[in-house]
Amino acid sequence: MDGEALTSLITRIDFALISSLHILFPPLTIGLAALLLVSEALWLKTGKESWYRLCRFFEKLFIVNFGAGVATGVTMEMAFGILYGRFSQAAGPFFGQVLGYETITAFMYEAGFIGLMIFGWGKISRGMHLFATFNVAVSSTLSAMWILVANSWMQTPTGVEYRNGIFYVTDWLAALFNPNAIAAFPHMMLASFELSLCFVIAVCAWFVLRRRHVALFLTPLKYALAVLVVVAAAQIWLGDVLGEQTLESKPAALAAMEGHYNTNHPDGSVDTDWQIIGWPNAKGDGLAWSISVPHLLSVIETKTWNGPVTGLNSFPADQQPPVVLPFYSFRVMAAAGGAILLLALWGVWLRMRGKFTVDLAPTHKIFLAACVGVVALPYLAVVAGWWTREIGRQPWIVYGLMRTEDGMSAMSLGLAIFWLVGFAFFEICVIAGTFWFLLKVVRLGPDLETPIAGEGHEHLGELHVPASGHAEQPEYLRPV
Amino acid sequence: MDVLTHTQQFLAIAWWLALGVSVLLYIALDGADLGAGIFSLFVKDHDEKGAIMGAMAGTWDANETWLIVAGGILFGTFPFVYGSAFSYLMIPLALVLWGIMSRAVALEFHHLASPKWQRFSEWVFGLASLAVTFFGGMSVGAALQGFELDKPAVGVPHYVGGAFNFMSAFSVWTGIAACIAMTLSGVLFVRARFEKAEPIRQDAARWTAAIFWLAIASVLVTVVWSAAIFDWARAKWFGSHFWIWGLFGIVALICIDQVRRDTLKDKDLAAILWFNAAALILGVGMLFTMFPWLVPNTWTIWAGASPQVSMITFTMTMGGFLPVMIMYNWYQIWVFRGRVSKLVAYAGH
Repeated sequence: MDGEALTSLITRIDFALISSLHILFPPLTIGLAALLLVSEALWLKTGKESWYRLCRFFEKLFIVNFGAGVATGVTMEMAFGILYGRFSQAAGPFFGQVLGYETITAFMYEAGFIGLMIFGWGKISRGMHLFATFNVAVSSTLSAMWILVANSWMQTPTGVEYRNGIFYVTDWLAALFNPNAIAAFPHMMLASFELSLCFVIAVCAWFVLRRRHVALFLTPLKYALAVLVVVAAAQIWLGDVLGEQTLESKPAALAAMEGHYNTNHPDGSVDTDWQIIGWPNAKGDGLAWSISVPHLLSVIETKTWNGPVTGLNSFPADQQPPVVLPFYSFRVMAAAGGAILLLALWGVWLRMRGKFTVDLAPTHKIFLAACVGVVALPYLAVVAGWWTREIGRQPWIVYGLMRTEDGMSAMSLGLAIFWLVGFAFFEICVIAGTFWFLLKVVRLGPDLETPIAGEGHEHLGELHVPASGHAEQPEYLRPV
Repeated sequence: MDVLTHTQQFLAIAWWLALGVSVLLYIALDGADLGAGIFSLFVKDHDEKGAIMGAMAGTWDANETWLIVAGGILFGTFPFVYGSAFSYLMIPLALVLWGIMSRAVALEFHHLASPKWQRFSEWVFGLASLAVTFFGGMSVGAALQGFELDKPAVGVPHYVGGAFNFMSAFSVWTGIAACIAMTLSGVLFVRARFEKAEPIRQDAARWTAAIFWLAIASVLVTVVWSAAIFDWARAKWFGSHFWIWGLFGIVALICIDQVRRDTLKDKDLAAILWFNAAALILGVGMLFTMFPWLVPNTWTIWAGASPQVSMITFTMTMGGFLPVMIMYNWYQIWVFRGRVSKLVAYAGH
């Protein structure tokens, strides 16, 4: 591999790292914000203290995750210009505009209300606080919408004309509502809810398993599992819709995802095999070995028994995406999605048999342990899904119009390595810290003692002054 | 490259002003947080360090977001500048980003950490604030110097220079000057946010008195140095309208002087507002000195603008989103306006 190719590879890995490590955080922010809104609204409606305690507890987890999301997200916005300067210049008129709208209508919107939501308890009225939580939920959803519109446009760049190195928007509506965005945005939203529900289920199940605050955590566990059945099933269906969309707009990406090299067998009959697993041959024009199910590929993609699906070899060699990564990451994502649905069904089945009582629930240890473990799956699925999407689009940065290597900034090998090592170090510190503090907050458990926050201007208790401290130190009153 | 229509030329200027407003708001709001972070490096008492972090807990995120808004406007409306300038400033911006990341997690995790790790996060917070300020200032200085572009027959000019072109005596100086100015803003923030009897407020007053002179000196040095090396600055400042620029300078100095007077009189909010007025005047003065360049000798406002700036997006942003943004930001600062004591560090912010 020559120096230039290596630099180009490392620059790709740089961005892959920055985006893979960022996408770990926003889904929980988006989904959990909505769940916090539900619990806060239930508290205000029913007056049950348990909803308030749950809301405050999960809010602590929310903020740990949010900090990491901001830290890694700011990086991404800047990284477009730094690592992919030529792409930023060319696509700026559309892509930059959309990201600009994201910062103005969503990022700032969210930042404005998140401070109120986290630190506003007792300083603003309950209604105002609920309004702040509502706005955090809405703004994080808006943010996801803009980002998915921008990214989907890279997959299906409609409404633009590429001339003299610039993407001119000829039809704003066609570019904004590009075909991929219609399926990809709901897919990401459901992924966020699915991930957040799994997160809540895992935390609640852990407490029930340890027999701590069983009554408090059993209710959300029950509700979350029931909702998860619907969400997980809908997600599998939406994933299929997105797959069909991919077949239509990016057939090469779909062929790579499925390890499908030839449209027809050598004897002329249609190749309808769906590969469960496999590995490409050394030449890269077919599979060296695979385990496959006949007809399944045609059924999934064309909804017919023998429908042909365009194989990878139908595309020129320089327009084929890599196969191994999209192939396996797609399978990991799909398997994770299926496993989550099975767990949710298991939970609902237990509930229908009346096992979700304070006495009985903690005895179902295997089920609860599975609930705790399931939290890893949506994270795996989200990262694997994005790898499938982004690697499947290669070698294009804007599908069919601009190649990835034409979008990069001029960079030396040393500089590319400097970026990789530096960002890997900082981002891994961020992730390690986030993981550690999430565990710590869970271990400490919910705060059931502090009086419920009121409408502002109140005494929040006294600080115990150390014995050596000054006797004249005033008792602490949080200033408003 | 295409020529913009008259309306688009006008819109490009309006966006350029909006960009300036975001950057100035960022300097006014997050500048204080950064400066307080630098100041915290020199504070010995851990409760006080923690309280400085606690005092900005509810607002730092929104303050920092003005930088992201500026980035968004640059990417959306001036993509040719965004794509080339950020490649030019690759190294200092990477360092700024590492600082922003470290600072964000230090702030969010501080109150959850064990005492040992709290000390660590206080140091991370202080050093990261210093790094963001210094390398941010350095990026501004480097941008003033302009950078090399290629000249393709068709299409967009790209950055073609090396990764270390941003390094110069002038850019190092603007980094230092940024640290001085932000520290002044930071100590003013500490004065305004702590209860009147807190000892840290007295320390901050002593700092204000000293840094005040440094700030005046650094403004003068920056102006003289700029006049010496930038022909575009010289042409304006010593041209036929020299008295306008002189007036800018004098008003700015009066504002800085008011900062000191009000600090001595315990009028903390007024001191902050005078500081921001000085920053505004100097910032606007610099923007108009550069006009019509967005990046001197590199990109004019019109050459750097997207050929697709349109009345619709502009009106939506300026008429709809920006006023709403400023409203809820104001409300948020209002909610968290109260003074805090150093014991705030105990209260989980």
